[in-house]
Amino acid sequence: MVRGGTHSANDDGNGLENRSGPVTDRNSARERNGSRTDGGATAPVGTPDSASGESTPPSEPSDRRRGRGIRNRLERRAIALFGLGTLVLLLVLFYYPVATVFVEAIVVEGALTLAVFVELLRDPFYFGDLARLFAGESPLAVAGDLLSSDRRLGVVGFTAYQAALSSLLSVALGVPAAYVLARYEFRGRQTLRSLTVLPFVLPSIMVAVGFVATFGQNGTLNGALGLVGLGPVELMYSLEAVLIAHAFYNAPLVARVTTAAWESVDASAIETARSLGASPFRAFWDIVAPQLYPAVLMGAALTFVFTFGTFPIVLALGGFDLATVEVFVYRLVQDLNYTEAAALAIVELVVSLGVLYGYLRYEANHVVRSRGVRPLARRPLSPPSFSLREVVPRAGIAVYAVIALVVFVSPIVSMLYASVTGPNGLTLDHYRFLLERQQTAAAFQVQPWPAIRNSLLFAAGALALALPMGIVVSVLTTRRYRGRKLVDAVAMAPLAVSGIIVGIGLLRGPVFGIEISGWRFTMAGAVAIVAAHAVSCYPFVVRTVAPGLESVDESLVESARALGASRARALVDVELPLVWPGVVAGAAFVVAISMGEFSSTVILATGTDQYTMPVAIERFIGRRLGPATAMGVVLLVVTSISFVIIDRLGGESFGI
Amino acid sequence: MRALASEEPTPTPLERPGRAADAAAADDPGDRPIALELESVTKRYAETTAVDGVSLSVREGEFFTLVGPSGCGKTTTLRLIAGFESPTEGSVRFHGEDVTGTPPEERDVGVVFQNYALFPHMSVGENVAYGLNFADPPGGVSKSGRVRELLELVDLEGMADREPDQLSGGQQQRVAIARALAPGPDVLLLDEPMSALDAQLRERLRVQVRAIQKELGITTVYVTHDQEEALAISDRVSVMRAGAPEQVAPPREIYRRPETRFVAEFVGDNNVFDGTVRSVEGRGANGRQRAALEVGTETFAVDLQDREVSVGDEVTFCVRPENLRIGAGVNATTAIVASAEFLGETTRVHLEWYGQELLVRTRDPLSGDVTVGFEPEDAHVVAIDRTV
Repeated sequence: MVRGGTHSANDDGNGLENRSGPVTDRNSARERNGSRTDGGATAPVGTPDSASGESTPPSEPSDRRRGRGIRNRLERRAIALFGLGTLVLLLVLFYYPVATVFVEAIVVEGALTLAVFVELLRDPFYFGDLARLFAGESPLAVAGDLLSSDRRLGVVGFTAYQAALSSLLSVALGVPAAYVLARYEFRGRQTLRSLTVLPFVLPSIMVAVGFVATFGQNGTLNGALGLVGLGPVELMYSLEAVLIAHAFYNAPLVARVTTAAWESVDASAIETARSLGASPFRAFWDIVAPQLYPAVLMGAALTFVFTFGTFPIVLALGGFDLATVEVFVYRLVQDLNYTEAAALAIVELVVSLGVLYGYLRYEANHVVRSRGVRPLARRPLSPPSFSLREVVPRAGIAVYAVIALVVFVSPIVSMLYASVTGPNGLTLDHYRFLLERQQTAAAFQVQPWPAIRNSLLFAAGALALALPMGIVVSVLTTRRYRGRKLVDAVAMAPLAVSGIIVGIGLLRGPVFGIEISGWRFTMAGAVAIVAAHAVSCYPFVVRTVAPGLESVDESLVESARALGASRARALVDVELPLVWPGVVAGAAFVVAISMGEFSSTVILATGTDQYTMPVAIERFIGRRLGPATAMGVVLLVVTSISFVIIDRLGGESFGI
Repeated sequence: MRALASEEPTPTPLERPGRAADAAAADDPGDRPIALELESVTKRYAETTAVDGVSLSVREGEFFTLVGPSGCGKTTTLRLIAGFESPTEGSVRFHGEDVTGTPPEERDVGVVFQNYALFPHMSVGENVAYGLNFADPPGGVSKSGRVRELLELVDLEGMADREPDQLSGGQQQRVAIARALAPGPDVLLLDEPMSALDAQLRERLRVQVRAIQKELGITTVYVTHDQEEALAISDRVSVMRAGAPEQVAPPREIYRRPETRFVAEFVGDNNVFDGTVRSVEGRGANGRQRAALEVGTETFAVDLQDREVSVGDEVTFCVRPENLRIGAGVNATTAIVASAEFLGETTRVHLEWYGQELLVRTRDPLSGDVTVGFEPEDAHVVAIDRTV
């Protein structure tokens, strides 16, 4: 009955025995269709259709899998339902609040007007000499004044100015790092490369504390200078301090993207250029450099956008003289001048989006996607010989290493050092203070322990919201369908909108209360903070999960579906198990960023007992540096743990 | 590969209905009910039409192959049957029931992909068992019993605990086949399942796939770009081009009687000639009409089979390389040897003939000028362009 011995396709060379086990698909196919068990069930196995008349086809072939009722139908729509849920959350927690801010800026006493903007644009306080252009003066006269030495920049102009300088400094510090990471082999290179992701998780307020501890009046820098009989220097509350802090933050980003580009340069392209007669320098200029420009520019553009919206660093390091747009928005909010704050925030958003858009246009035209078939060979860090050609670049690297130590390492070390030193040498007083303060403190003062507790609670809440949102958005943005770009844009907008705007929106909207047909809905402050955190964090989950999902072979999902799994079931059974490192890394991002979030939290927590560690640090920083550094160390520990998780599980797949 | 296309390209006993010599004649799928059907199915993307008004029907237990060059729409057609794509127009029916809007998990199909698509985080056994989460094993066996049964079927007994990446490519593909068959699907869909394997393995595996298909009697749709594979494995073949079938027929007929120039040139080596009818002669020895066709400066006598032509018609006909005879007297003409490929069993010789390339199979090496000819019965008329 069963044909045997005809199957020889056994590729590992084993001899093949005749199959003995009859497989009963065909007959069981009849059984499961129920209607005819007479002839079919007794037909000999393995001989298909010995009498074709009896094997009338099953009339309802998909019966077996269908008809599992409502649960099945829900499961079939599960992704769409989750997508809808995410959309509703985004509308309530992000789009509606942000829209109220925008409306506030253009609707004055019930009438639509651009007066607030016009006034803002013509105010030299904000736009400096440029304001006269908006007021109708001749562009030539304005340009002349802008080029003169006593030009006025205004708040917006200054913000752009410091952002441009920060970008330059970040590129200047980041590109050499990329050179070392991409072209030299040394112990700890991988670790150093991983560390470039750290700025994404380091709370900016913690960085500010580190800078105060380093460059402040009694900081480690002045201490070190004092030992050799120099100083003291006053760096605090100066543009330089802000720029260096921004470089601390953004140079690793520049280094990260540039290293990746450098590593994807194909060595054989350079060898081809050399064999055609190009000198090493010429080959670098013609082959390597063009592949690096887009990455460097991307780093610079992102740095500009980030530093244009800088807030905690300038608030803590800039003092009263240096105020960026974001700091001013914050001050206006504190003065309850919401209309002007909103208008200013929109101006900021427009500038940031403009720069991003310009960059994306550039990127679209300059995509260099040479998959490094064979990357450039790395050189040892110690010179193999003492020729000029070997020694000079390495001497340069040594100089760079010293600068890098001062900029990148000293703030962290100084913070750790300051947290364990007092007037009388080593002490744990600052940490003890974190625990003891509440017993003696008055109710209105910021207390350390509630700050730590709030931070943990809010991070847990943000995680519970952001993780499912991020996963759903990842699924919706990695599959191809019409309207995907729109979904992508709607879902990623929170990345572009500053925390201050989200904070104001949530405060003025849901927290103060929304009236719907006579009922007043209010959102608790704590819920609003969790919402703001979730909204600003979940794009990072998308960033870590989506690349993984993108690389999951679509035929795996299709196989699962052909086998009977719904789309949602295939996600749970096949895709998520394959991308779980990205999911965990995304979760670590959420925890770290939520812990360090300052902008929206400070707006929502002011005057309440919902303050978090970063808010507490900002309150401490001016008065008592010790406790601020101690709390900074607590934040550092949390974010470092997150960093290790991200690095172990998802650092490479992270999209930026 | 093309070199192996011999006169008897298919080892399968099934091709033409009613042949007493064929042992499997009783098993002829031609009489069976239709298992799946496409009716004027069109699939349009933003800028391209991948499938253009395709109507096909596949019978119960039939091994049906879609073959064609890349971009001809064969894979899209398969994906429309599986439910991974939904047609822009037209309908898909399983056993007469419209399933056009039914998602893949609710169609009773098993799918095997070119890249195996084994779930990398599951063992071989878990892979095979996956579909049994959604349907009870057919025949009332237990889940684990069914997995064992299927692994036996594909000669992978005892491999259930292995991880997919511990298996060779051919073994992985057999696991994928077992996984697709485990829930006892109604239709098996295979999308170029062997193109990632090396040539030798591919030939062995296709024998095994065909044997399993016959043993289970499962309706199968197979996609390949390899015309030789299509001829070797199928009950019927649809040669596709630009989103639509050019010819749907059993392998032997496809090979011997191509209906279009494209089919004549795509399936196997061929020599295609364009000629003008100069005269229509009386019936030859076999009782069929012959025509004298002018091709360039030569005139060839061609058996018209049952086609009707009149003087002045433009006729396209083909002669297989194995039917071009060296030194033959009938329809003789002179050509120059351009190059030769030694293929082992035979040598494929490229001839230069009035600016056209001719292919011929020989055992002995050739050089210089040669005389080639062919029997009028060995010519097959592909197309007729009537002038009046």
